[in-house]
Amino acid sequence: MSEVKNGISRRSVLKGAAVGGLGLAAGGSLLAGCGSDGTGALAFGARTVDAGPTAQLKALVAAYTAKTGNEVTYNATESNAFQNNLSQYLQGTPDDAFQWMAGYRMQFFAEQGLLVDLTDVWNEIGSQYEESYKIASTGLDGKQYFVPQSWYPWGMHFRKSMFADLGLSADTVTNWDEFLKMLDGMKKKGLVGFAAGDKGGWEAMGTFDILNARINGYQFHVDLLAGREKWTDAKVLEVFKYWEMLIPYMNPNVLDLEWDGAMQLLLQRKAGSMLMGSWFGGNFKEQSEADYADLSIIPFPEINPEFGRDTVDAPIDGFCVAANGTNNAGGADFLKFAGDMEGVQAMLDAKDADGKSIPMTSANKGQDTSTYDAFQKEQLAVMDEAKYITQFLDRDTRPDFAGPVVGPAIQSWFKNPKDVNKIVDTLQAQWDALPPLA
Amino acid sequence: MNSTAMDSKKPHRRRAFSRADRTTLTTFVGVPLLFHLLLVWVPAFLTIVLSFTYWSGISISRIKWAGFANYKNIFFDTPAFWEAIQNNIIWLAWFAGIATPIGILLAYQIDRQIRGHKFYETAYYLPVVLSLAVTGIIWNFLLRPDGFVNGLFGRDIDNAISFFGNYDINIYVILTIASWRHIGYIMLLYLAGLKSVDMALREAASLDGATEWQTFKKVIFPAMKPVNVIVIVITIIESLRAFDIVYIIYGSSAGFPILGTLVFQNIAGEGASMKGAAYAVILFVLSIGPIIAYLRTTFKSDVQ
Repeated sequence: MSEVKNGISRRSVLKGAAVGGLGLAAGGSLLAGCGSDGTGALAFGARTVDAGPTAQLKALVAAYTAKTGNEVTYNATESNAFQNNLSQYLQGTPDDAFQWMAGYRMQFFAEQGLLVDLTDVWNEIGSQYEESYKIASTGLDGKQYFVPQSWYPWGMHFRKSMFADLGLSADTVTNWDEFLKMLDGMKKKGLVGFAAGDKGGWEAMGTFDILNARINGYQFHVDLLAGREKWTDAKVLEVFKYWEMLIPYMNPNVLDLEWDGAMQLLLQRKAGSMLMGSWFGGNFKEQSEADYADLSIIPFPEINPEFGRDTVDAPIDGFCVAANGTNNAGGADFLKFAGDMEGVQAMLDAKDADGKSIPMTSANKGQDTSTYDAFQKEQLAVMDEAKYITQFLDRDTRPDFAGPVVGPAIQSWFKNPKDVNKIVDTLQAQWDALPPLA
Repeated sequence: MNSTAMDSKKPHRRRAFSRADRTTLTTFVGVPLLFHLLLVWVPAFLTIVLSFTYWSGISISRIKWAGFANYKNIFFDTPAFWEAIQNNIIWLAWFAGIATPIGILLAYQIDRQIRGHKFYETAYYLPVVLSLAVTGIIWNFLLRPDGFVNGLFGRDIDNAISFFGNYDINIYVILTIASWRHIGYIMLLYLAGLKSVDMALREAASLDGATEWQTFKKVIFPAMKPVNVIVIVITIIESLRAFDIVYIIYGSSAGFPILGTLVFQNIAGEGASMKGAAYAVILFVLSIGPIIAYLRTTFKSDVQ
């Protein structure tokens, strides 16, 4: 009997540079509402202006203020603007606590001394999280700098009704040949088999990640992103070879659609499947409950039997405390609350403008997964099946390589797939030319 | 002010400046000069210096000398750079050969007070009032796969005309959008200049039996020398420093690389590196070079 697993077990998350063996956090008793060092007002910076997530964060803030009496100023910035300005933000007058992402993106700023050490917070709430989350929250020096909030897996999304029309079901698309057969069937019906959009330059990294992990295995993928393997390796060319097989089934305007364009194709029933992170469930829900109920996710099919479906990209979002904030202790105290089940429950209980609950897959072991709806349970199943979790290419490798180099390289591959040899040569040359990490 | 042919120097006028005059002058010249130095010259100089270093933008102690490494990286290892140069050159050619001449032509026709000229004047100038970012947003809404134009043609998101994603046509789409604004801008500059051309010159030309084209080429155009200089310099600068429209439509991805977005992509966000400063220096040199050369040849003849 498979038991519903809360969170993820049997995982190992290896970072390129970091990570020795970290033991599980000494699980003390769960945090009770003990008196905190942090008192007084603090500021919280949210990395989103979307309705659903904002409602959740505001609920968290309200619950914290109700419990401790500390006032929290809520500052929201649109996600892209926030990311672009993070360097300046952290060096200037940042909020005390802010939303950020795990992976090298967090470790980089911790390295620069811009984040506050949260080992104490982890000592108190660490038992509520699986080891893999603690590893993901650890900086390059072995201390924790991040408290997880939520995660989402990258997988094949489709509409159950469309699958039924085509006589398919989730278990019939488990390997590459079946996958291609499915795409063929969709194409014959005039549908876009594999919706893709790469106008933003980052969306297609998910496809690269999963193809590389499926064909060449988790270790090669991690090594490639850390520079221990070469982009000119024949294994990388294999990835592009398989990817090229998918092009006939993609929409013709891949470089003109961002991720939400690809999602629209699925929403409007013009596409049969889409490889994406699962964050957009809310958009389907906005359209109608029926659409949300129709949405389903399965892991990307197996390609190499040696590796099966053992890897999944599952970026973790969460919170950090800025070292240059005015109230570090207050910020850490807020994160303690946010990471504790109390704070998580406040976010889960939040309702959107229509009074409906907002789906969130929390990283906390305490989240009652029996209240998960069908889509969230499928996401959990995707996570559970995988042995290895990666954070997504632009969080797993150097930021001055991911955005400026890999993004445009993949885009130029879409423009002309036959140029693949030139493209990988350039990728390797640009990796070699990167300045030493300052 | 007439200067006779005999005067080779401008007549000197010496006035005694009163103390109040002096203070006013110093304040009104000095303060902006100070700001200009602090906010333009000093950062420009620092950018040039920083382009020879490795630095991620955080904490001054981490600056490391790099010599020409950033430049070598750009010139030899970054194909996007050469694509960007190509795009900027096409931009310049388009502006110089199509957009600016159209602006001049429109100015000339409007100045001749053809029927409806007041309407045309406003209509063509309206896009200039919008900021480039707003222009980008408007056209993005119009030409996206789920935008207005594709909707007009009844094309859905999956078989939409890919204005921005089809790399055979997207540069011309972008250039058309940029021209939409540039034409009005040039038109207005030229109109202002035309108004200052003596009517007598035109009448004299037509009396002598010159056609419109001859009048323009031989009489008006040379008389507009100061405006011509401005128009040409603006054309060069606007095409090399283009950024807003492309950034609004493509974000910071290198979907349509031009020098402006390459600068931004390398200094914004966590991937910041001094490659961005190097791009900025290259952009600066490319802009300043032709302009200085042009201005020198133009004003050399003035020294006679």
